[in-house]
Amino acid sequence: MSKYQVIRMTLSGRIAWFIFAVALIGIVSMPWWASQGLIRDVVTLACYIAVAQMWNMLAGYGGLVSVGQQAFVGVAAYAMFVLAQTYGVNPYSAVFISLLAPAALAVPIYYLLHRLEGPYFAIGTWVVAEALRLLATNMPMLNGGAGMSLRVMTQFSVHERAIASSLLAALLLLVTLGGSYLVLRSRYGIAMTAMRDNPAAAASQGVNVHRLRFYLFVAAAVGSGFAGAVYFMAQLRITPPSAFGMNWANLAIFIVMVGGIGSLEGVLIGAVIFFFAERWFGEYGASYLIVLGLMTLACALYFRGGLWGFYSRHFNAPWFPTRRHLVRNKGVVK
Amino acid sequence: MYWIDGIVQGILLGGLYAQYALGMALMFGVMKIVNVTHGDLVILLALIGISLADLTGLGPWSILATLVPIGAAIGWILQRALLNRVVGDDPLPSLIATFGLSIALQNAMLQIWSADTRSLSGGAIQQASIPVGSLYIGVLPLIVLICATVLTAGMAFLMHYTRFGRALRAASADVEAAAMMGVNPRRVYALATAIAVGILGFAAAFQAMRSTVAPSDGPFQLIYAFEAVIIGGLGSIWGAFTGAMILGISQSIGFRINPGFGILAGHLVFLAVLAVRPQGIFKRKS
Repeated sequence: MSKYQVIRMTLSGRIAWFIFAVALIGIVSMPWWASQGLIRDVVTLACYIAVAQMWNMLAGYGGLVSVGQQAFVGVAAYAMFVLAQTYGVNPYSAVFISLLAPAALAVPIYYLLHRLEGPYFAIGTWVVAEALRLLATNMPMLNGGAGMSLRVMTQFSVHERAIASSLLAALLLLVTLGGSYLVLRSRYGIAMTAMRDNPAAAASQGVNVHRLRFYLFVAAAVGSGFAGAVYFMAQLRITPPSAFGMNWANLAIFIVMVGGIGSLEGVLIGAVIFFFAERWFGEYGASYLIVLGLMTLACALYFRGGLWGFYSRHFNAPWFPTRRHLVRNKGVVK
Repeated sequence: MYWIDGIVQGILLGGLYAQYALGMALMFGVMKIVNVTHGDLVILLALIGISLADLTGLGPWSILATLVPIGAAIGWILQRALLNRVVGDDPLPSLIATFGLSIALQNAMLQIWSADTRSLSGGAIQQASIPVGSLYIGVLPLIVLICATVLTAGMAFLMHYTRFGRALRAASADVEAAAMMGVNPRRVYALATAIAVGILGFAAAFQAMRSTVAPSDGPFQLIYAFEAVIIGGLGSIWGAFTGAMILGISQSIGFRINPGFGILAGHLVFLAVLAVRPQGIFKRKS
């Protein structure tokens, strides 16, 4: 037994993993106990969490602030609609095949935009998303601005669709949250944390910052695309303004900034707040968005760590611990 | 003739975009920050102008003369209250802060002015045009272009030949060194933003006269300004002007190819410039 040991898991982390596993099982079993409305809500919330977490990885770790993730949400969703509705591919296979589209698109976009400095990179991603929205609006194959309906879904019964939606939502959370967690705990996580804190210093320690950012960008594109395909499959309808809408960027940025940037826990907290704000106050018009916008502003100015930052200043009980603690073993005698 | 007309109309349209782009070039050149509310401020000023015209019965030129100082005041307050806190090496805070403000501003405008599109009546000048050969050049777009040219020249003069311009350039090159030489960066920044948003007062009045405005239009104006600045080359005042012309021509030609293709053509030209000459047309590679 060595003198020191690295502690990577905490009690709170184990409890959180247990709750996460129970929640996933709960989501998968929804068709047998939950109402249609609840399943729909859970799918929506899962998509919000996934898109926000992908933005969190980009901005919180990669230093790549994008306001154009809706480009990938829309492209994957449209690819799924075309495959399933136009070419008759099984819709559930189409969800996975459609993920090739955001991956293929992310490569040239990254190579075009990585030349732009920080804030200009962000607006550049916005231009790309706008260009794609206009392209979709003008493509007869996508039925232009009128959008498409996923009529092929009528071949499945309501119960079958509920099972598939629940499975997809659980898988989406597993891949985006669980996947991020595993990556952050691996050696890439150390490299990414180093890159977040200081890219130049990370590069001098042997981290290939450029390549790591590229991987992050592509992975985030695929993750966001997955959320898009799942979300619009549940919606059964897609239009260019909904698929490529700014709302995706708004919600990702709000969730991450208010919840706490650079943490998985923050994304969960922020997503729940956003979801319920939209649900409860959305019916009174758009004024709740004024409040959400000002909250984002306040977090950027005064509470850089968001709600999770506030929590972790007072309690050392992370739900998804990614830190390494070096502890001296008491029992070892020299 | 059809295509020549397209180019001429594009240059005239570029005059409007140059007014959006000028302020952004100034703010980026000096502070290295992007103000995401840039486009929303154009819309806010335009809506204020339209409401003022309804309330007071002032003519369009008096409205323009009122909007410029209002814009400058908004810019000053914006910088003092908000942006001065987030100027720094990390681009994230300024971007996120103004992004949040942009969402709030858009929805606040939606509550106050509703989603209707509005415009400012410019009187007889709106329909007037000058025949040049077989082309017709609108008087109002021509005034917009001349105004943009004068503003750009004025800004270039300000940057290169005045004490304030020297302070601006010094602060943008090295804030700390400039501060040691007696430049107050916060004051310089606030003045720069006041000028940038003040120019948007011109843009707002002309936008409202030339076409219509609605509360959700801001992001489009932001994107056009941004594209013009990048096409021209970051930080170059005349570069932003040229970029705006190129963007205007691209959109105008695009519209003539297919009405759905106009705006998209502008985006594609922007992406092409980014692929071929990422430092912009005017800037030399550093």
